Amino acid sequence: MSTLFIQLTDLHIREPGRLAYGRLDTAPYLHRAVQTIELLRQKPQAVVLTGDLTDFGRAAEYAHLRECLAPLTMPYYLLPGNHDDATQMRAAFPEHTYLGDSGFVQYTVQLGPVRLITLDTTVAEQSHGALCAERLAWLEGALNDSTEMPVVIAMHHPPFKTLIGHMDKIGLLQGAAALETLVAKYSNIERVICGHLHRAIDVRFGSTIASTSPAPAHQVVLDLDPEAASQWILEPSGFKVHAWDAERGLVSHLMPCGTFEGPYPFHDGGKLID
Amino acid sequence: MELERTSVKILQCAKTYSDGTRGLLPSSLDVHPGEVLALLGPSGCGKTTLLRLIAGLEMVDRGGVIQFGQQDVTYLPVERRQIGMVFQHYALFPQMTVQANIGYGLRIRGASPQELKRVVGELLDLVQLNGLEHKRPAELSGGQRQRVALARAVAVRPKVLLLDEPLTALDAKLKVTLRDEMAELLRRLGITTIHVTHDQQEALAIADRLAVMRSGRIIQVGEGEALYRHPKHMFVAEFLGRINRLKRTPQDIANHTVTIAQATVRCPQGLWPELFVRPEDIELKPYDPHLPVATLLQRSFLGDRIHYRIDVAGQGILTAEAHRDSPYLAGDRVSFTIATEHFMPCENDQ
Repeated sequence: MSTLFIQLTDLHIREPGRLAYGRLDTAPYLHRAVQTIELLRQKPQAVVLTGDLTDFGRAAEYAHLRECLAPLTMPYYLLPGNHDDATQMRAAFPEHTYLGDSGFVQYTVQLGPVRLITLDTTVAEQSHGALCAERLAWLEGALNDSTEMPVVIAMHHPPFKTLIGHMDKIGLLQGAAALETLVAKYSNIERVICGHLHRAIDVRFGSTIASTSPAPAHQVVLDLDPEAASQWILEPSGFKVHAWDAERGLVSHLMPCGTFEGPYPFHDGGKLID
Repeated sequence: MELERTSVKILQCAKTYSDGTRGLLPSSLDVHPGEVLALLGPSGCGKTTLLRLIAGLEMVDRGGVIQFGQQDVTYLPVERRQIGMVFQHYALFPQMTVQANIGYGLRIRGASPQELKRVVGELLDLVQLNGLEHKRPAELSGGQRQRVALARAVAVRPKVLLLDEPLTALDAKLKVTLRDEMAELLRRLGITTIHVTHDQQEALAIADRLAVMRSGRIIQVGEGEALYRHPKHMFVAEFLGRINRLKRTPQDIANHTVTIAQATVRCPQGLWPELFVRPEDIELKPYDPHLPVATLLQRSFLGDRIHYRIDVAGQGILTAEAHRDSPYLAGDRVSFTIATEHFMPCENDQ
């Protein structure tokens, strides 16, 4: 049985009853995502939440987030995004001691055979992200001490250009090249998993694959025009399922949230149904 | 390859989870430099929690201290503790060869090509994987993968090696072979090792000493043979092997005896209301009216030995084990003896 973990990202939870962008009640979407996770045929070992957990980083939003995540029957790990406030997050989840008391939210977690290393890409009061020398030095130390196992790096801002102009303007504006140089040195890094983009995007990065995941509620409109308008859309939502296989390594699936018609069999009596 | 021999000191370490569950009650334990210590117990006993605390995968409750040698590592994160880990679902790097897997940590730490070659060569010798260095993990057997994982774990000279149910995922026959192999390998490495298992045979075969755990507590620590022969607690006696219980009367307790089938038998001094004895320590003999007598109810031939169930007046049904040539049959009247030193007085809080 392989080890499975979920990447869920960009939940943008608001205070109960308040709408994101005046239109969108994000909580029911998170309920649906949580339900979809709980109904997976193989139970994941953990859920990693790669930032933008709330919309404004307020205490009441985190209290609501806590309630929304309560039905999860496996541990979950939190990372901040540009919409978060680490102080409020720590206060709302005091038993999540890995968040530390202060400073950057960077930690390591053992998910079965895989070591998750998280990076804090946030910049106070800003939408864009950055990795300063201090954060990168910590990562290098963590990588040097994790040479006995496959590693997955999780962070909010993707360290690559997505071609969605308005998102690239608030992308990882500092430290992306240094991160790529560092990542290229370590062939045990299976993935760099990110949020922020509300879409599934994959790129070659260093010696590995970097990707973003869709969000459980709203997606960013796919528009590769550099001057594209900043817009969201209720396209099918989803999350990533990362499974470790002893012979292949990390295998990543995209799972849409919700319930769908089916399943139906392909075959009947050993023959393809005609 | 010379590895560091570090002591591990666990002082009053407890773990309370966020939902209030106590994974481990305050526990202390000393692991000697270069020793292989097994944490043994049924699931839920706290052995994995204790291992995770030592690894730094969980943080100890306030007040607990963990030391590696002279260094306090209580608040160090996992990646700063210099531990080697081989877990049940250890993961080799699928895209790398055996030698790349073993040498990866050294390469990252900047070892020169010559040093890399030397250390990897030594480790390949040690784990007997010569000739397989260019294979990928998918081409190896379960046992070979296990050995690569072990070699990879020690290549960077960790202070402490942690093994979490390393053989659980393997089939029974392979498990026995690998168990003996691992025992020998750990002796050759001489590294301080903490080994978690629920399998008492695995613990006895691999470890120098065992810490037997139950319900979040360490019940007894000692060498395997000593624990098997002189358990202090009934749980330890029962977990390490099978036992018979013998009841004692107040007169027995006053006289340092136990009454078995109307015969009075001398036993160790102490106020124990019950004594325990292992099946192989009940020695069956031809009927002799001067010795305790029993009726043989059942004889089970197990290949290397014979298992008997005997009915003993005043004590009920006991089990005895004997060599495979033991001649008694169901329905026989037999006698038996138990040597004084084979009575095991234990605490029993169950």
